[in-house]
Amino acid sequence: MNFAPMKSSSFISQFWQYLFSLSVIAAITAIFFALRGILDITLIALLYLIPLGMITAFQGLGPGISSALLSFLTLNYFFIQPYYTLAAHRPADVVILIIFLIVAVVISQLVGRMRASLAKATAREREATQLYELSTILTGLHDDHTIIQVLTKQIQAVSQGEYVELSTTGARAFTYHLPEIDPPPRLPELTVPIQAARGVLGEIRLWKAEPAISSEEKRLLQTFASQGALALERAWLVEAESRAKVLEESDHLKSILLSSVSHELRTPLSTIKAASSSLRGNEVSWDSHARVELIAAIDDEADHLNMLVGNLLDMSRIESGALKPKREWNILSEIVESVLARMRYSADEHKLEVDIPENLPFVSVDYVQMEQVFTNLVSNSLKYAPASTKIQIRAYIEGDTIHTQVSNQGPQVPPEHLERIFDKFYRVTAADRVTGTGLGLSICKGIIEAHGGRIWAENITDGFAFNFTLPLTWDGQLPMDTETE
Amino acid sequence: MSNAPHILVIDDESQIRRAIRTILTEKGFRVTTASRGEEGLTLAATNEPDIIILDLGLPDMDGVEVCARLREWTQCPIIILSVRDSEHDKVAALDAGADDYLTKPFGIEELLARVRVALRHSTSRQGAQTKLVKAGSLTIDLVWHIVKRGEEEVKLTGTEHKLLAYLAANHGRVLTHQNILTQVWGPADANHTEYLRVYMRQLRKKLEVDPERPQYILTEPGIGYRFISDG
Repeated sequence: MNFAPMKSSSFISQFWQYLFSLSVIAAITAIFFALRGILDITLIALLYLIPLGMITAFQGLGPGISSALLSFLTLNYFFIQPYYTLAAHRPADVVILIIFLIVAVVISQLVGRMRASLAKATAREREATQLYELSTILTGLHDDHTIIQVLTKQIQAVSQGEYVELSTTGARAFTYHLPEIDPPPRLPELTVPIQAARGVLGEIRLWKAEPAISSEEKRLLQTFASQGALALERAWLVEAESRAKVLEESDHLKSILLSSVSHELRTPLSTIKAASSSLRGNEVSWDSHARVELIAAIDDEADHLNMLVGNLLDMSRIESGALKPKREWNILSEIVESVLARMRYSADEHKLEVDIPENLPFVSVDYVQMEQVFTNLVSNSLKYAPASTKIQIRAYIEGDTIHTQVSNQGPQVPPEHLERIFDKFYRVTAADRVTGTGLGLSICKGIIEAHGGRIWAENITDGFAFNFTLPLTWDGQLPMDTETE
Repeated sequence: MSNAPHILVIDDESQIRRAIRTILTEKGFRVTTASRGEEGLTLAATNEPDIIILDLGLPDMDGVEVCARLREWTQCPIIILSVRDSEHDKVAALDAGADDYLTKPFGIEELLARVRVALRHSTSRQGAQTKLVKAGSLTIDLVWHIVKRGEEEVKLTGTEHKLLAYLAANHGRVLTHQNILTQVWGPADANHTEYLRVYMRQLRKKLEVDPERPQYILTEPGIGYRFISDG
């Protein structure tokens, strides 16, 4: 694409246009001169009008008028007696000459004007098309960086500038330029602000020395700038709106969490309060069985409360992204065994089986967090699987991950719940039938994902299983070879 | 009562101070309490307690700093009381010279057990260096580098022996990964926890009755290891 009127404004190309037009007239004159004996003077004058019209149509008004004047002179000099003078003797010849001059000039002017207005119309149409294209592209965009990039590309294509740079200011400053090199070592030839209702959003800078920037170009760039401003404002508004929506949702979640948490916290607290106040009020005798029971209840509920608070802390760390695993090369079976050793008493009604190969490579995990994952998955299995059934922990290499499975022979979970059991406070069974915080599995999910792994649940032939994967490598590194002596 | 061991409790929560004071006094200890770090440091200097129980979160200064400042002049055993999930703080306190730590909330039995271990250390520090460490059927001779399981001598490699000797010499204390790695392998390997994992597994296979459920070499999750002796 280019600006046609721009070309004619260049001095050199104009010179060639004139030279060409006058040469055409010279050539035509040479032909007519050869046919001077055959053709009548009036016919020659008429025939001159054809190239004149064409020159004006193709070369413009200036060359047209000059050619008309030249033809007038050559007609007089070569074809009107006396030859080789600029004088005319016969009155008829004088009339022919005058009419020729008038007709030639009028034709040139008419054709020239028509041509100019046609060029203008074409240019306007092109501008309109470009603007239309731009606004069509921009409408579909909601990302400010993409908008800037598209705008830069369009300006570069339309202006044929040697270097175009767009930048936005403020908190979301961004700069893009084409071509992707350093800008020319001089000030830009044209700077157009990207102006919106609430102020200047940025700036368009155009480096284009040759040919110089025309006023039409300036106008077009300003239109582009205001289109860009509109698109940017719209993008930022959409973003602000979606942010507001996310905030609203998280606010809603927080209030659900708060009400759920206060319920969960009050349950053990009320047990503790009831037990301790009855002990204090001497309502139970010192050596009775009830007293032992009450003290045990206080102790258990205090532990439960502690676990709850711990879970809540973990959850808030996971959600704020503050849960950063302190990764070290660990032996998975060691972690599993230490968890099982601690859970021995609560798991004495179930059969715990560990199947982790001796030569399983080191895993790069946070020891404490992985302990928590296993603790939560096993205690979840203990809660739902019937007594004296088997709970199995397996681990093996699968591709470039270590696959771990904690399976039990408990009841299957309806498929529609499988995805959601890792959600906060999500329970398949009614909350009052099972104790817990409703956070254990979502904490597992948070921890595994923070380790770059994936966790999911599935129904297996004789029960239910949790699966998770952990990457075999750590920052692209395999565990180092720890040869022992 | 004047010969009873003296315990200094530095904790900013009055309820915790009250509970610990009540229980420890009941158990026959003399108890002094402080609610701030500076106050605790002054009391430690004037009263010369046998054990210091220190909270990490103090209003005027960090517990780790209190620990480091105490270690400038006293070898008195320090037991850290810390809230859950701050392995980083615990490691920092242990590296600053603390002997042991306990997570809040804690059972009083646990606290008493730690206090007993610390008291043994405080007396052994005053007396001669330990030469023989016994743990269950294990006997570790730190002078002659002999390890026996029952009557049978256990063959250990050089590094295994160095590692076990360091653990046994500090029996009852929590030793951080970094501490052990620096002492046994050298400062250049202080971050290679995987060495520790491998050698601990080897040692447990050779020493423990059930290597999967160790009784002598205990893992302190995220922090380090502790060797349990008969004391």
